Amino acid sequence: MVRVLLLGAGTMGSVHAEAYHSLPGVELAGIVDIREEAADKLAEATGAASFHSLETAMDELNDIDAIDVCLPTYLHKEYAMKAAEKVENVICEKPLARSTEEAREMIDHCKKRGVKLFVGHVVRFFQEYNRIKEIVKAGKIGKPAVVRTTRGGAFPKAWQNWYGDFEKSGGLILDLLLHDFDYLRATFGEVERVFAKKIKRKDADQLIIDYALVTLRFKSGLLAHLEGTWAHQGFSSGIEVAGTEGIINYDSAKITPLKHTPRVKEAGAGGVEVPESPLVSNPYRDELKHFISCIKNGSDPIVSAEDGLHAIEIATAAQLSCESGKPVMLNTTADIS
Amino acid sequence: MKIGIISFAHGHAYSYANAIQNQEGLELAGVFDEDVTRGKAAAEKYQTTFFDNYQDLLGTAIEAVIITSENVKHREHVTAAAEAKKSILCEKPIATTIEDAEKIISSCRDNDVFLQIAFPVRYSTPVKRAKELIDNEELGRILAVKGTNRGTNPGGWFIDKDLSGGGAVMDHTVHVVDLLRWFMDAEVTDVYAEYDNLISEQTIDDCGILTMNFENDVFATLDCSWSRNDAYPTWGDVTLEIIGTEGTLTVNAFDQKVDVYSDKDGVSWEFWGDDMDEGLIVDFTEAVKSGRQPAITGEDGLRALEVALSAYRSGEKKQSVTNR
Repeated sequence: MVRVLLLGAGTMGSVHAEAYHSLPGVELAGIVDIREEAADKLAEATGAASFHSLETAMDELNDIDAIDVCLPTYLHKEYAMKAAEKVENVICEKPLARSTEEAREMIDHCKKRGVKLFVGHVVRFFQEYNRIKEIVKAGKIGKPAVVRTTRGGAFPKAWQNWYGDFEKSGGLILDLLLHDFDYLRATFGEVERVFAKKIKRKDADQLIIDYALVTLRFKSGLLAHLEGTWAHQGFSSGIEVAGTEGIINYDSAKITPLKHTPRVKEAGAGGVEVPESPLVSNPYRDELKHFISCIKNGSDPIVSAEDGLHAIEIATAAQLSCESGKPVMLNTTADIS
Repeated sequence: MKIGIISFAHGHAYSYANAIQNQEGLELAGVFDEDVTRGKAAAEKYQTTFFDNYQDLLGTAIEAVIITSENVKHREHVTAAAEAKKSILCEKPIATTIEDAEKIISSCRDNDVFLQIAFPVRYSTPVKRAKELIDNEELGRILAVKGTNRGTNPGGWFIDKDLSGGGAVMDHTVHVVDLLRWFMDAEVTDVYAEYDNLISEQTIDDCGILTMNFENDVFATLDCSWSRNDAYPTWGDVTLEIIGTEGTLTVNAFDQKVDVYSDKDGVSWEFWGDDMDEGLIVDFTEAVKSGRQPAITGEDGLRALEVALSAYRSGEKKQSVTNR
């Protein structure tokens, strides 16, 4: 039995708590949140103990195997480093950190203590994205040439609007496009050059939206164009890979495995459509199941903390390009998990 | 109105010829083509006269001429038509160099003849509706645009730089640039481009992503790649995702389609929307008849070409370049 302590009872914390609750061989021992009500509510729903500080939780709980950090991005480093002093396994939600420097510090800190550090790049566990990767690797579309991705929806609502504070969240490029940076790097190799544009901070803050378009040039020559949006309504994600001998296309907005539309009983009242793409196990659950199995077996995860750092490197380059108006070169020779 | 066509090198010549035939009061009075076989076949198809010399065609009583020759030949054909005092519809891109484009514009001005550049997408009904929504300020202030104008590698002279002036970037930059200039009444200030020869075996740029800044602070990207393969259900697309302060607008000029699954022909998307090429021909001929100014001027053609050429400069320097 792997005993987990979860830090953060926000949106991602709730998703992780439900996943742990449903996974065999895992015990969600405690949930920590400074918002006492949120911690209590999620703890009650998942049968865990509720705490309002990491210290109290560690004082009261024994034999915790892993601490899962589902806190706002700017708190990742502080709490992952603290966690690494208390347990042998640290799971950290993406982005691994607010900057590459912070990520490097966390990785080194964990390595020195022999602590395993996992990063929650959940797109690696999305079946549609894995299927695309398999089809590319099988050579069904020849050599990939131009890739286009899109991701986003409405501006995320969260505690103290921390997403709206660039210093805390890194904005849309670090928070949202990071998913695609990591997936594209895992599928198509290292990035050589980055060029990016995003809407002005003033407009973004005033309108509570954000929007960025990024062009990546890979070492292989491949071109990629990424759209990140918090200016639309309703989440969707999509990817198209055009190769020398074919095209693969996926757009979550265009698939309808299930859509429930309640009958409108009063004239003039609109029924709210609830679309779903149900699976036996969702990608977040698959991700945590994989991490738990790595903890049990001592094996390496399919996505490493180094991968988490390299994704931040691309995001940082994109952000820098937005600021300078110039392309930014990347110099990395790391292996990709 | 009697109309001539100079060259069937560009495939649009056929849809313009069809549009002429579909309109009452328009007559395709003669065609010229350097490729005699192609020209004679077209003359037969449209029941008109073939000329083996464009000066002979320009010497007839035609009022207007459509120039659909290879890009590098536009200058020669337009200047000859201008000197013959014909009203001119010139296929995009206007030319392959700024110098040629300026010569085209000045020769039409000096001869006081009507010159319109063929940007048919302005006549797509969904695109026209988008322009209307933008003009009515339904989007508020525009912040950013994501555009695509992808297609199938056209082959032939399109992939011979000496005749086309360039590949996908030259072929597919100008349409979307023209739409954005039209929508926003703003010029492109900076261009960054990543393009390459990644898809076809012939040495020509066949894929590219442009990023443009406009003088109204809007940024836009454009995928101009010839990335649609044989098995894809259609030839290509024109799409725009427009982000405004008051909302977003998604435009897909060719999305009015039915899906066909044929044992004989495979999967295809059959378009049923309004014919934009016909819209272009109707507007061109009506403008000539009524003596009104062209909806799309030589200057519009020049501005769009300028951006394509800036994209090539950016690619060579691997830097963002100043467009104007």
